[in-house]
Amino acid sequence: MPHNIGKICTSVQCARGLSAKTAFRWISAHAERTDYTFGDLDRESNRFANAITSLGVGEGDIFFTFLPKMPEQFFAFLGILKVQAVCGTLFSNFGEDALLDRLGDSGAVGIITRKSLYKKIARIRNQLPALKHIILVDGDDDQASGVISYQRIMAEASTVFEVQPTSPDTPSVLHYTSGSTGKPKGVLHRHASLGSQQPTAQHILGLSEDDIYWCTADQGWVTGTSYGIIGPWSLGVTQIHYGGGYDAQEWMNLLAQEKVTVWYSAPTALRMLMREDETIFTSANLPDLKAIYSVGEPLNPEVIAWSRRVLHHDIFDTWFQTETGAIMITNQPGREVRLGSMGKPFDGIEPAILADDGTPLPDGEQGNLCVKAGWPSMFVTYLNNESAYNSKFKNGCYYTGDTARKDSDGYYWFMGRSDDVINTAGHLISPFEVESALLEVEEIAESGVIGAPDDLLFEKVVAFVQLHGRYQPNKDLEIKIRLHVSNRASSIATPQEIIFCDSIPKNKSGKIMRRVLKARYLGEDPGDTSTLEI
Amino acid sequence: MATEETLNQIFQMVFDDDCIQIYPATTANDVDGWDSLSHVNLITTIEAKFSIRFTQKELLKQKNVGDLIADIDRKLAGN
Repeated sequence: MPHNIGKICTSVQCARGLSAKTAFRWISAHAERTDYTFGDLDRESNRFANAITSLGVGEGDIFFTFLPKMPEQFFAFLGILKVQAVCGTLFSNFGEDALLDRLGDSGAVGIITRKSLYKKIARIRNQLPALKHIILVDGDDDQASGVISYQRIMAEASTVFEVQPTSPDTPSVLHYTSGSTGKPKGVLHRHASLGSQQPTAQHILGLSEDDIYWCTADQGWVTGTSYGIIGPWSLGVTQIHYGGGYDAQEWMNLLAQEKVTVWYSAPTALRMLMREDETIFTSANLPDLKAIYSVGEPLNPEVIAWSRRVLHHDIFDTWFQTETGAIMITNQPGREVRLGSMGKPFDGIEPAILADDGTPLPDGEQGNLCVKAGWPSMFVTYLNNESAYNSKFKNGCYYTGDTARKDSDGYYWFMGRSDDVINTAGHLISPFEVESALLEVEEIAESGVIGAPDDLLFEKVVAFVQLHGRYQPNKDLEIKIRLHVSNRASSIATPQEIIFCDSIPKNKSGKIMRRVLKARYLGEDPGDTSTLEI
Repeated sequence: MATEETLNQIFQMVFDDDCIQIYPATTANDVDGWDSLSHVNLITTIEAKFSIRFTQKELLKQKNVGDLIADIDRKLAGN
C-alpha cells in the first residue's frame, strides 16, 4: 500500500479509474472556469516533480509555495510531496519579517511564487543563503538572480514520474504556527498523516465520490492542505477552488451554480455573511447542499441559529490545530448539536481535561485540553526546536494550549487559551511577533499586545504603544504603525486598535505583563500585581 | 493632484508595492493582498489622507476603485 500523499491524491485515483473525473474546477476571481481531471492533476504534479528534481531538489529538502489560491499551488504541492521533499506553504499576505522567519528557520532550498509576491522575497534574499531556486509562475528566466520560469521548466519536464517507495514516517508538510513567546515554530508532519486526514474527511465531512466539495481555506494554513487538498483528493472527491475573495452574493451564486454538496468554511466568514442582507440567502436555491462545517475559532450559537433560519442547515463546528493535522473533536450530522460546543472526539481520539499538574479533572471543570499522543497526523516535531516540541508532551499527552471542559454527556466546550496567543479570524497570532514589528517603528519605545474579544474576529489584536518622549500620537503615526505591522508581519497581525500610553507594565525581570494590559483594556481587576515593576 | 493619482499612491503604500497601478475597474481581486483586513488599512488611510469619513452605507456599496473615487470626489466637493 502506498504512503506517499502526492501519489495517493493523483496516480492512485487514476488507477482506480478516476483519471477522467474532475479533481477540481478552478474558478478565477473573474469567474472563468477551468476543469482539471485527476489525470491532469497527476500529469502536472509529475511535471513539477521532474522540474524540481532537475534542479537537484530531493528527499528531505524543504520547498515552499507562496501563492494565492491558484492551480499551480496544487500542482506544486503534490509534486513536491512526490519527490519526498517537504512542502511548506505560506499565506500570500505574509510580509518580509514573517517570510524571513519561516524561510530562514527552515533552510528552504526553493520557493514557487509569482512576480507581485516575489518583491517581498527579493528584499530579504541576501539573508537566505540556502534559498537557491525561485520559480515564478508568471515570470521569465533570470539566471543572474536565480529566477526560473515556471512555464519553461514545466514545458521541458516529462509528465511521467515514478514516485519512490515512501515510508509513512517520511516528512511531508510544514506549517509555521505562532506561540506566545519567540519566533513562529515549524510544525512538521509526515506522510502517515493521511491516516487521520482521509478518515475524518470521509466520516466527519461525509465526503464520497459523488460530492462537490468547497473548502474556502487558503492553502497557507493547515485546513487548506489537510482538507483543501489531501483529505478530499485521497478520496477521489471533486473540489471547487475559487480565486476570488469574500463576496456574499458571489459565494451564494457559487454554491448554487456549482451544486456544492459539502461546504467547509470559517466562523469569521460565516459571521460576515450574517451581517449581509438576508435576501441574499433566502433567495438562494441550494437544493444540493447537504452540510456546512466550520473550523478556526469557536462558533457562536447565533451563527448556527442564523444558518438554521436562512440556509435551513446546521453548521457543524470542528476543532483541530496545525499540530494535530486533522480534526480531533467535532460536531457532525446524526448527532445532536449543542450550541457553542466543540462536539465529541473522533473515533480513536482520546482527549482529556487535565489540571496543570496532570491530574484528570471531573466533568464540568475547566482545565488543559490534552490529547493522548499517537494519532496518525500528530506532528513529529517543531523544526529546529525539539525542546519546544518536548514541552508540549507530558505523560503521553499532547497539551494543546487550549482550555476546555467536558460535560457529563461527553461534549467538549472550548473555554480559551492557556497562553497569550491571539486567535483572530481563525489564525493564531503571537503577541511577541506583533510587538517585535512594532518596535521597528522609529517612534515606538515599548509595546504590549493582547487579544480582546471581538464580535466578528472572535479576538482582535490590540496594541498598547509607548512612544519615545519626543513624539506625540497622531493619526498619521497610527496609520504608519498599522501599515508597518501589516507589511512586515501580515494583514492578519495588524492591530485593530492602537492605544497610546505612558508606560507598558512589566515584571521585575522585564517581561511584559499582558495580563495587566488585558485587565486594563477590559476594565477588570488585574489581580496580583506584586511582581509589577513600577 | 487628481484623486486617482493620490489614491494610487495610497494603494502603493498600503499594499507595499510600488508597481501597483489602479484603474476605475480595479477590484480587490486584482490586487494581491487586498483582503478584508487590509481593506480596513486602506479605508483608514484614505480617510486620513483626504480628511474625509465614509459612512457605513458608502463602504458597503463600494465595489471597485471607481466607486471609491466617486465617493471621495463627492465628499471633497462638499456634497
